[in-house]
Amino acid sequence: MSLAVEAVGVRKHYTGKDGDVEAVRGVDLAIPPGQVFGFLGPNGAGKSTMVRMLTTLMTLTAGTARVAGVDVETDPHGVRRKIGVALQEAGLDPRQTGRELLVLQARLFGLSRSDATVRAHELLELVELTDAADRRIKGYSGGMKRRLDLASALVNQPEVLFLDEPTTGLDPASRVTVWDEVRRINERGTTVFLTTQYLEEADQLCDRMAIIDGGLIVCDGSPADLKAALQARTGSATEPTLDEVFMDATGRTRARSAGDVQEV
Amino acid sequence: MKESFVLGRRAIREALRTPDALIPTIFIPLFFLVVNVGQTARIFPSGDTPFLAGQNYAAFQLPASLLLSASFGSAALYLVEEIEGGYFDKLRATPIARMAIIAGRLYAELVKAVAIAAVMVLIALPFGIRIDSGILGFVVLVVLVALWAVVFSGFMQLIAIKTRSAAATQGASLVFFPLLFLTPNFVPRNLLTRPMEIAATLNPVSYIMEAVRSLILDGFDWPVLGLGFLVVTVAGGP
Ligand SMILES: Nc1ncnc2c1ncn2[C@@H]1O[C@H](COP(=O)(O)OP(=O)(O)OP(=O)(O)O)[C@@H](O)[C@H]1O
Ligand SMILES: [Mg+2]
Repeated sequence: MSLAVEAVGVRKHYTGKDGDVEAVRGVDLAIPPGQVFGFLGPNGAGKSTMVRMLTTLMTLTAGTARVAGVDVETDPHGVRRKIGVALQEAGLDPRQTGRELLVLQARLFGLSRSDATVRAHELLELVELTDAADRRIKGYSGGMKRRLDLASALVNQPEVLFLDEPTTGLDPASRVTVWDEVRRINERGTTVFLTTQYLEEADQLCDRMAIIDGGLIVCDGSPADLKAALQARTGSATEPTLDEVFMDATGRTRARSAGDVQEV
Repeated sequence: MKESFVLGRRAIREALRTPDALIPTIFIPLFFLVVNVGQTARIFPSGDTPFLAGQNYAAFQLPASLLLSASFGSAALYLVEEIEGGYFDKLRATPIARMAIIAGRLYAELVKAVAIAAVMVLIALPFGIRIDSGILGFVVLVVLVALWAVVFSGFMQLIAIKTRSAAATQGASLVFFPLLFLTPNFVPRNLLTRPMEIAATLNPVSYIMEAVRSLILDGFDWPVLGLGFLVVTVAGGP
């Protein structure tokens, strides 16, 4: 069986008025199907850029990427049929109702009008928006918009689901709801690729994770492996938290610089 | 194809839910019609002005108002909003051609423009304007004006998609503005001053205006009509 996500030497250079940015500088990924994969990194590390490339919304400057076995550059429509994506900024149409948006999205994936109506109904129940379904999205709260965005990423029962910071801005209860949702989706066989700023989220949800910093992957493995590796390296008596793994990997602590000095 | 209609229906829904954006499209051109006719009608009394073919001056001015209302291109601003707001990306993540998104908006534009042109003509009828070419001519007139609206909106949407900026899109619509006025707007082309006549002859919009006008004043004048439709088709080609 082919990998759910496979990236080889992926790069992205933005060239624009404001100068050149090397947002992603050679990333390799190999994510087997069925996993929840966490993609972590500080602000500006290149997470969203990677998601946009893998979801065919942006061209690659170099490298190749296949999602659900399909090449993102040679067959973008093939990829789009097999994936769902909820971007970091939930882009929704404020003048439609939640239900209309989901029906439209399902229709664009080729469902008939009646199938699309049924699918929209199921998804509204899934994300608990049935009550607000026929109100205009303009009046939705931030959390409601995020949940609707998540629902819209599921209309085509994707093989691989990309979620760019799905829980940013959610209250703790909604966050747990989304976690449950991600687990349920994953149990049904969907591979989930999610980015997050919350290390607890990665700890809770992810089978494997990678940390990206400055456009390069600085470490990857299961959360437990990463913690164990750090513990072995620092020789500390207690198991480090994922926060510490993150800080260490992205060079954002004094402990790390002290460590560097000791190694010299 | 099917997707374009699905998207088109959504764009029509969007227009119906923002009636405040539609109202100026109808009333600003009608305002110009009333003011222009009110100020100049005495110069052009219907009996003694051959180019009016026995009708009043409002009948001569109506085509200009119809074309003005067909040239608001507000749909392009919705497109910019959609690109900036990120919903465009959600549509782009579906397996449809990017052109289908534009085509959907153009389809909505056609429906909207047909409705608006029909309403404007109906508002004008009680003021003594007759459509000399009859009911069929009314239909042809509305279709011609609506096709121009689609062409104009097509240009605007291309600009919107290239620049991704509301300011640039609005600016571009101002570039089109002279095209509407460098036309035989107040008198037929042969009565214009020489420079204006040259400008109007070079301006494709003139021929659409003349075609619409011929339907109102002279019945079916096939060469003029043909030219009007030809211009719309050629301009719509790309
Ligand atoms: N459209 C763009 N044009 C130019 N530079 C961009 C563009 N989008 C992102 N960048 C730059 O690319 C780098 C990576 O951005 P990206 O959005 O991928 O980061 P991120 O990891 O998602 O950050 P965050 O956690 O803040 O969402 C940043 O330096 C950013 O400024
Ligand atoms: Mg991001």
